[in-house]
Amino acid sequence: MTRLVLVRREQVLKGGQPLAFLIGLVFAMLIGVVLLLISGHDPLAIYGRMVEASLGSPRAWSITLNRAVPLGLAGLAVAVAGSMGLWNIGAEGQILAGAMMAAWVARLGEGWASPLLITAMLVAAVVGGALLASGPAVARAQIGVNEIITTLMLNEVALRLLQWLIHGSWKDPESRGFPLAPMLPDEARLPGLFERAHWGAVIALGVIALFGLVASRTAWGYELRVAGSSGATARYAGISLKRKITTVLILSGGIAGLAGGIELSGNADRITEGISAGYGFAGIIVAALALLRPSGVAAVALLFGAVQVGGLSIQTMGVSSSVSTILQAFILFGAIGAGVFSRYAVRRVNNDKTSSES
Amino acid sequence: MTPASTAAVDLVNIWKRFPGVIANAGASLQIKTGSIHAVLGENGAGKSTLMNVLSGVYRPDEGQVLIDGEAHQFRSPSDALNAGIGMVHQEFRLVPSFTVAENVVLGASDRLVRRTAVEKEVGELAERFGLATDPSRPIWQLSMGERQRVEILKALWRNARILILDEPTAVLTPSEADELGRVLRTMADDGRSIIFISHKLHEVTGFCDEATVLRGGKTVAASLQVADTNAHELAGLMVGSSPIISERPPARQAGEILLEIKNLEAQSDRSLPVLHGLSLQVRSGEIVGIAGVSGNGQREMAQVVAGLRPATAGSVSIAGQEVTATPPAARFKAGLGYVPEDRLGVGLAPRLTVTENAILRNYRSLRKGPFLDSDQADEHCQDLVERFGVKTGPMHEPIAGLSGGNLQRLLVGRELSGGPKVLVAAQPTRGLDVKGVKAIQDLLIAERDAGVAVLLVSEDLDELFTLSDRLLVIHDGQIVGEFNPETAQRHQVGAAMAGEVVTQ
Repeated sequence: MTRLVLVRREQVLKGGQPLAFLIGLVFAMLIGVVLLLISGHDPLAIYGRMVEASLGSPRAWSITLNRAVPLGLAGLAVAVAGSMGLWNIGAEGQILAGAMMAAWVARLGEGWASPLLITAMLVAAVVGGALLASGPAVARAQIGVNEIITTLMLNEVALRLLQWLIHGSWKDPESRGFPLAPMLPDEARLPGLFERAHWGAVIALGVIALFGLVASRTAWGYELRVAGSSGATARYAGISLKRKITTVLILSGGIAGLAGGIELSGNADRITEGISAGYGFAGIIVAALALLRPSGVAAVALLFGAVQVGGLSIQTMGVSSSVSTILQAFILFGAIGAGVFSRYAVRRVNNDKTSSES
Repeated sequence: MTPASTAAVDLVNIWKRFPGVIANAGASLQIKTGSIHAVLGENGAGKSTLMNVLSGVYRPDEGQVLIDGEAHQFRSPSDALNAGIGMVHQEFRLVPSFTVAENVVLGASDRLVRRTAVEKEVGELAERFGLATDPSRPIWQLSMGERQRVEILKALWRNARILILDEPTAVLTPSEADELGRVLRTMADDGRSIIFISHKLHEVTGFCDEATVLRGGKTVAASLQVADTNAHELAGLMVGSSPIISERPPARQAGEILLEIKNLEAQSDRSLPVLHGLSLQVRSGEIVGIAGVSGNGQREMAQVVAGLRPATAGSVSIAGQEVTATPPAARFKAGLGYVPEDRLGVGLAPRLTVTENAILRNYRSLRKGPFLDSDQADEHCQDLVERFGVKTGPMHEPIAGLSGGNLQRLLVGRELSGGPKVLVAAQPTRGLDVKGVKAIQDLLIAERDAGVAVLLVSEDLDELFTLSDRLLVIHDGQIVGEFNPETAQRHQVGAAMAGEVVTQ
């Protein structure tokens, strides 16, 4: 009798992660075929439509790109914290906080010139996300409160605050009693790039590249990587862990807040409870699949954007948009599963009696 | 020559290759049933790999593993255990909050166990082999020597007929080590075979029947009768040429006090007092050695001096400047160089590259605006690598791939490149090969001669005798004795280490 066993590789397979990702994608699509067949659809037609809608034309690309922007920034936010071994599970709330601050500035800055207003909104968005993250940051750095729990709980706080504003002082008098904030003025809208894509893609890519550069080339980034590799070594080298933890978590919140500001200014007519379509949580998956690397974050975000846009597009064919959620989940599942094989090799073993007791 | 059928263990022509390294190049080992067999070799000689092959952790690329004359292919340590091979690791694998008995049976029983019955059985087993322990006491209350007895009991409980002990005396006082020797003899007389890995030659000649010496992954001397050999011959076989007998460097006039520790108190990781009013001084141009059985506060003392552990009372001054409450970076500025005991955990960042680790102490001076000057960083790293003979792969690869000796050279080199006034070196030569040890020792002497005050914490008494100008003994968080290494006797120092009051 033979059996298969996993044996740890002596060296991690090079290029294993992109390969694992690809395997995850294929695995997810195969599961999707089964699901679609069960529900009585033609998988080829559905997949064709998804690809067409997300990548088939410049217009499709523009929609995918817009979707990838908040995913990429949220993914970066999680990755930034992750580089220090911290988990920011509060990107969702920080996105809302960023959007709220941007909406507030848009209200204050009525009549300002568009570039000034947009800049002020985005800066405010960063501040909003950073503010929401600052509590968990300080609590973690000073007295060691687990940031996973605090950031997670603040998601709910941010959502309630937004609801309170929309139902209260921000309610549009012209909405005839509906809890809706007023429409944003045109000056508050991010200018377009091509088709439906807006400048958010450029900003997001710039921020991701900037962080990549800061992390790999600057003294600050070096300290960050030392601290992420070994906290004791960082202390030994005179790097203040408290300060690093605080800055990194606040920075992470600020990046997520920026995603909220861009989403409001680029994609939305007005601020709503649903301004973030779960981007903060999807960002955790994006960061994990990118192994917390900025370059990986951009690529994974684009792919997730395409999957989400494709998933939305097939609703017109009578397929639930949950299909895309399921696909995303199985991509993660498959990629993490396949990732195991970059660290372990499969060997076939003869299960004879040589090793049992003599 | 013993016929193969009576050998408890017969490892034949074992090859094991790792990327870039051949750990075992045709090593052989034959152990007679009922004997205590020493396996000797320097770090990197292939002992650990060979023992990992025998205990099922690694599979050999080539070669045969025969247990009682029968060929085995172990897939896992549990396969090896089933064949009767038990390993007593250097780092104990015990659950601190469990009792002795619970630790002994943990994982070895798939049914629910009754505490009293198990405690009785474990107690009987312990008594049979002279392993005095109370089965109902929790591990955290036990001394290192007692914990080691629990590890041995675990192997015996699992019916190990072949026991591998990896540097078992490293954590023991001399009298505890003698006690262990008696226990091992009892087990051997019971028909069990013991493999004893050690660097301490007097223990090998003291307790063992036979010795096998490895060098460069090969067996250079198989099953020598210990009665027919001596420590000098064994040392010669280990290093391949005549052993390096370090000469005591000429004494030098000590200068002003550069490191002063006064009435220092501090707590251990478990928040128990571990330093009890420790005081010492180190002057410019002298090496002060700290001898002590591990766990007596030397680790914590070095950490307090480096600023990595708070002092609860007392003071530390570096070059006349009080630094007791300052962070590590301020002490570095005041002129402290520190070689930590835990290299990978405290001194180095394992995920970072060789260059990135090389600049840990001076990266602040390599700034160009917000950026790090990567050319200068590479240059600094290249310089360190050459001056201190670090063998590295590409400098932009993570250091995780370097050997222990090369990691230490990189670390010590980095600390010395800053031009310190005071150097605290904790176990600086542990785990290095002879060349590495000599290189590090020479560096310490050169630093001393340049006027640096060196505080050397070491477990290696020979090293302390060779290098120290003054030898202090730490016991239970206090300095309990001071010796002149030129005139002191080893047994006097040993007695002080064990906490006995000694007058020189």
